[in-house]
Amino acid sequence: METSGRVEQYTLDNGLRLVTAPASTGQVAAVNLWYGVGSRHEVPGRTGFAHLFEHLMFQGTGNTDKGDHFDAVERLGGDINASTSTDRTNYFETVPTHALDLILWLEADRLATLREGMTQEVLDNQRDVVKNERRQRYENQPYGTALERILRLAFPEGHPYHHPTIGSMADLDAADLDYVKSFHKLHYGPDNCVLTVVSDLESADVLARVEKYFGPIPARDEVPEVPDPSLGSPLGGPVRDAVTETVPAAGVFIGFRVPAYGDREHDAAQLASAVLGQGQGSRLYRSLVVERPIAADDGGGAADILPFRYTDSLLLVNMLARENVDGDVLEKAIREEIAKLADGVSEEELDRARAVLEREHLHHIAGPAGLADTIGSCTQLFDDPELAYTWPRRWADISAEEVRAAAERLLVDGNMLVVRFDPEPEAEAEASEVEAEADTVANAPRS
Amino acid sequence: MQQTRPDLGAVASYTFPKPQRVRVGNGTVVAVDLPGQQLISLRLILPGGGAVEPLDALGVSALTSEVLEDGPDGNSSLAPALERYGAEWISRVTWDGFITGLDAPTSRLDEAVLLFNDAVRRPALNPDDIIRRREQLLERFWLEAASASTLAMRSLGGQLFTGRYATPLAGGPIKLADITPERVAAFHADSLASVAGTLVVVGDLAGVDLEELGRGVFGDAAAVPERRSTEPGPPPGELPRVLIVDRPGSVQSALVIAHRAPSRSQVDLPRAEGISEVLGGMFTSRLNMELRERLGYTYGAGSRFDLRRDSGVFFTSTQVEASTTAHSVTSSFEQIAKLREDGVTEDELATVRESNTVGLPVSYSTARSVAGALVDIVMHDLPDDNVDRVRAGYEKLTAEDLNSAAVEYLRPEEAVVVVVGDADSLREPLTQAGVGPVEVRSPESLWS
Repeated sequence: METSGRVEQYTLDNGLRLVTAPASTGQVAAVNLWYGVGSRHEVPGRTGFAHLFEHLMFQGTGNTDKGDHFDAVERLGGDINASTSTDRTNYFETVPTHALDLILWLEADRLATLREGMTQEVLDNQRDVVKNERRQRYENQPYGTALERILRLAFPEGHPYHHPTIGSMADLDAADLDYVKSFHKLHYGPDNCVLTVVSDLESADVLARVEKYFGPIPARDEVPEVPDPSLGSPLGGPVRDAVTETVPAAGVFIGFRVPAYGDREHDAAQLASAVLGQGQGSRLYRSLVVERPIAADDGGGAADILPFRYTDSLLLVNMLARENVDGDVLEKAIREEIAKLADGVSEEELDRARAVLEREHLHHIAGPAGLADTIGSCTQLFDDPELAYTWPRRWADISAEEVRAAAERLLVDGNMLVVRFDPEPEAEAEASEVEAEADTVANAPRS
Repeated sequence: MQQTRPDLGAVASYTFPKPQRVRVGNGTVVAVDLPGQQLISLRLILPGGGAVEPLDALGVSALTSEVLEDGPDGNSSLAPALERYGAEWISRVTWDGFITGLDAPTSRLDEAVLLFNDAVRRPALNPDDIIRRREQLLERFWLEAASASTLAMRSLGGQLFTGRYATPLAGGPIKLADITPERVAAFHADSLASVAGTLVVVGDLAGVDLEELGRGVFGDAAAVPERRSTEPGPPPGELPRVLIVDRPGSVQSALVIAHRAPSRSQVDLPRAEGISEVLGGMFTSRLNMELRERLGYTYGAGSRFDLRRDSGVFFTSTQVEASTTAHSVTSSFEQIAKLREDGVTEDELATVRESNTVGLPVSYSTARSVAGALVDIVMHDLPDDNVDRVRAGYEKLTAEDLNSAAVEYLRPEEAVVVVVGDADSLREPLTQAGVGPVEVRSPESLWS
């Protein structure tokens, strides 16, 4: 694959990192800000804050009223949203090019003056909104609590990845205005931000505009301490959480700790997950959906990696049982398929896995918004924007033996967690995807 | 020093790319070249679709769409074969069309298209595969309907229509069971194998021979036959009314307020879509500002039209905290009434007008989205410059246009309110809300 050759990277005096890249269609500018703050920075009793905070970033500043930011972008026919994960919070807009200055001003303004516009009233309102987000995505969905349960098993009490980004209802209730303001002061500085602009403008032009709006904002006085994400001991698996509740079918969720995002063995594990459960040529799909068939047809999405940069990532496998298939039968069959990976992976399987992952990557960077997001990620996490274009080469370079060896070392009972959902007797109750992020706007499109 | 808020720069004029049309055999290739877009979006539009299914084969299109994934060799072999080329199979049934396609890297387009042609025109259609897919589809119906919002949307058809639309697109949990492998084979032979259709191709087309592509896809298939359709009638029942679909213990209620609307060709699109945007089509819309940003009852509330060749539906939708359900219903009706009585603000008019004109470069910034606009053009027999025509319609939109649209297209007096939630706790407050008669049904009783 070609590298762009046109990505430019700058660092402003205040520490803000700017990356510019060309868009493949005209008249459009995608802006994406990756702030290096996520739920991993939250302390016990304050879970859900990074995400609640993301909501508050749309609620008015020293220079704008509640709703102004959304209104400005919507009337441009633009796309706007934000999302929070364990490792970062990102804010993004895609607008016609003539609106780029306005977007840069809106973003710079909320970075510089958010605290001046924050009120108890908007905090109370957005707390209610987030609680309804939690209900909609977690509590009112069959299997909706799976991710929360998986994280609880995967990381020990007190570990910064032990809790989900959405946080707990009790902690959300405890949010107070002073703490919210201090959170902004602590984490939101130009020195903690990667700003990516994908457009058809010259990079020097983009730089001048960014300098104009962001240049005057001072860096943070102090950089906060980050809760320690190291893992002292192995998982000690298998560990289990068995739930009986109103679900339409038995659901099996299996997880393994794998190396952090960016590690070569992480890439090997990702290929293993694609061989196992991504696409309809994957092993789990062939064997448990087509051949036996004991698992519900998920179109070939049974396995994936939840990537964490600063601690172990998780390889997750999820399938739902067919009618009249016992959860134990499905779980045993999935575990047998996982175990077989240690016996080896064929070149043909590996080629298919690489092609599936590459396709997904190309899709993500096919539009300006997705490209800006990927560049932001590669810059914030790896300080290398070009990786957005070249990432698939990492998979090309990994051999079948490496994939097999990673499976043999990592996909073992001692490193395994299982969350099982079984229906209540006589109960009737959508398979929900494991969702690691939370957004400001419901049903936001993901590129 | 902080900068003051900048004014917008000058808007560049935008024109939707003019597609190239190439007639090949009995089909047409409609192509847009987007240099640099390495993933090509290819879509074949055939006229079959849910709306024209015979009443004794409800869901045959959706089932056939699934079965195509078994490929020319059967046994679910298509997707894995395409996956090796980094290509993604697309098959989608709507009420008005049967769309198959690929997203494939330019470097491997030729191989992927050979396989695509076989997959659409010459699938194996093994009876065992068909029965397996049918059983999976039937089970998936209830797996998916375990989500309150999905169940609410699937409940709508039977409340607004008789005939085909009363049963969900995929045939629902009962009727689909009657579709035999022979029926699927007959549907495929009549509607898919023998009809040339129209092929949409978008992406970096340097090195793509459109005629050759068309020859492979169309072969000697016949031209698309002319279609006729009649608008289906409504079911009996007082309007407005409330249907509670019982979901015991539900901590949120899925709430949909829906009524019938004119068909795609009858509707004045900028006026209709414009008024829907003011009510619920944007973050800053009235419903979202009220239910989410003022009351905090929900994570989001919206509205939109679902416009088909022979009829349409307008609906608002949200999921609200269970205890706020009745107030959310009355608040939604209040917002609709207020919009009908007082009309739109100058600000709302400006937002609708601007977002649908200056925002077009954002809407069409990927091969997929350009392909989507072309599919729409083909499916609804629209002119190639439809995107620009609609934009021109928005440019001249006035407040009076939107105000008359509010009265013409928003019909709360004809609405059915579908609430999926805990019936025991909702019946009383929803009766008190005074919208209309309240009926409680179990999900299982909705389809026969």
